Amino acid sequence: MMEINDKQYHIQLKRGDVGKYVLLPGDPGRCEPISRLFDNPKLVATNREYVTYTGTLDGVPVSVTSTGIGCPSAAIALEELVKCGADTFIRVGTSGHIQKDIKSGELAIITAAIRDEGTSRHYMPIEFPAIASIDTVLALQAAAKKTGATFRTGITQSKDSFYGQHEPERMGVARDLLERWKAWEIGGALCSEMEASALFVIASMLRVRAGGVMMVHGKEPMPSLDILLETAIQSLRELISIDRANGKKLTI
Amino acid sequence: MPGDPGRVPLIAALLDNAVHVASNREFVTYTGTLDGVEVSVTSTGIGTPSSAIAVEELFRCGADTFIRVGTSGSIQSGTKSNDIAIVTGAIRHEGTSNHYMPIEFPAVCDVEIVQAMCKAVDRLELPHQVGISHSKDSYYGEVEPERSAVSEQLLDAWRAWRIGGAICSEMEISTICVVSSILGARAGGIMAMHGEGEFGPLDNLIKAAVESVRELISSDKKKGK
Repeated sequence: MMEINDKQYHIQLKRGDVGKYVLLPGDPGRCEPISRLFDNPKLVATNREYVTYTGTLDGVPVSVTSTGIGCPSAAIALEELVKCGADTFIRVGTSGHIQKDIKSGELAIITAAIRDEGTSRHYMPIEFPAIASIDTVLALQAAAKKTGATFRTGITQSKDSFYGQHEPERMGVARDLLERWKAWEIGGALCSEMEASALFVIASMLRVRAGGVMMVHGKEPMPSLDILLETAIQSLRELISIDRANGKKLTI
Repeated sequence: MPGDPGRVPLIAALLDNAVHVASNREFVTYTGTLDGVEVSVTSTGIGTPSSAIAVEELFRCGADTFIRVGTSGSIQSGTKSNDIAIVTGAIRHEGTSNHYMPIEFPAVCDVEIVQAMCKAVDRLELPHQVGISHSKDSYYGEVEPERSAVSEQLLDAWRAWRIGGAICSEMEISTICVVSSILGARAGGIMAMHGEGEFGPLDNLIKAAVESVRELISSDKKKGK
């Protein structure tokens, strides 16, 4: 086992490098634009798909760390960030629409995730639900109202195969993919992405908070991600404000 | 196809006239030549989800031969650190390949690639094993299984892989193989293993991987490909 003050193997961060509050985009290229919305942002580590910036919001240290695509690398990021002392995570990213009436640019605030992936099974049997922390759901809703974003709240499908979703007919398991997609649609899932379920299951096990907000890609071209990023940032401010009001420790 | 984007320039340094052609997310690509033939290095990121995307998109760009080069844990006792694993097939202990083919379908490496790798490590006189890799989705599920709620399953499974003769454990090759099978492309893998003693630099692994590609180019030329 690693010593508590050692740099974590993949994310190359140690205790003191990050705040308790961390935004988790998939794309490392989105870390820098997100960090510009922090006060005094600094690049603290870059390794593999993991890029981390730390700054402050309302005087409290906050970070953004990219997870890479998929639950395997997202699970590693979460595990190691928790070892560095972080305990509140908001996944922020893009997703495909499952409900046909969702327009491109709407935000989905996630309450739970379909575990259509492999990683979370390494943590908990499949029967265990992937549930977002209620604190994060509420903070995101409050944030979206302030930023003026159009949003829905609901379930995401977290999948392992991007092309299995977009070109299912090509796969050896095409019928199964199509049948399952139909099931998610009937079940009311809003959107489809590739990380949330493992983040939620692992966060449950580690007793930390995780949630997510996704900009949904509908039939139309995708607009700028500005409102998504602003909403995610505002949700951290909301969480900090609520935690402060509850007398919680705001720093590691 | 290394997992780590940071290893791409290190590998590209062994190609002739390598140039950086793209960087996006965990995918970094350099293209150069070996023996006058175009060769590229693209990182996959960690895990089969991003690896599947890399293979799919590279194939669309015209690539048809994929060699994973990376690090792995050893499964068999007595393995020394930095011993090389040449992969013949993979345990599909991951989620992505299930989106392509039912679980019964084997993840098998291309025979020409395995051959080329064996020649390369023999020429370089590197200690190695040839066999099956365990491709998993959870790094911490392997290295700290006791912490997982499914620890008994993980420990039982690990014991099975060891009894079954698997040599190494990593996080990408099974899907690279299954996706390549569907696409009609060739796939293989060469890994430095963590084992007894300190894990050293990857110079020999990278040399062996590049040498394997030279072998493959040479045998393809002979076959008039």
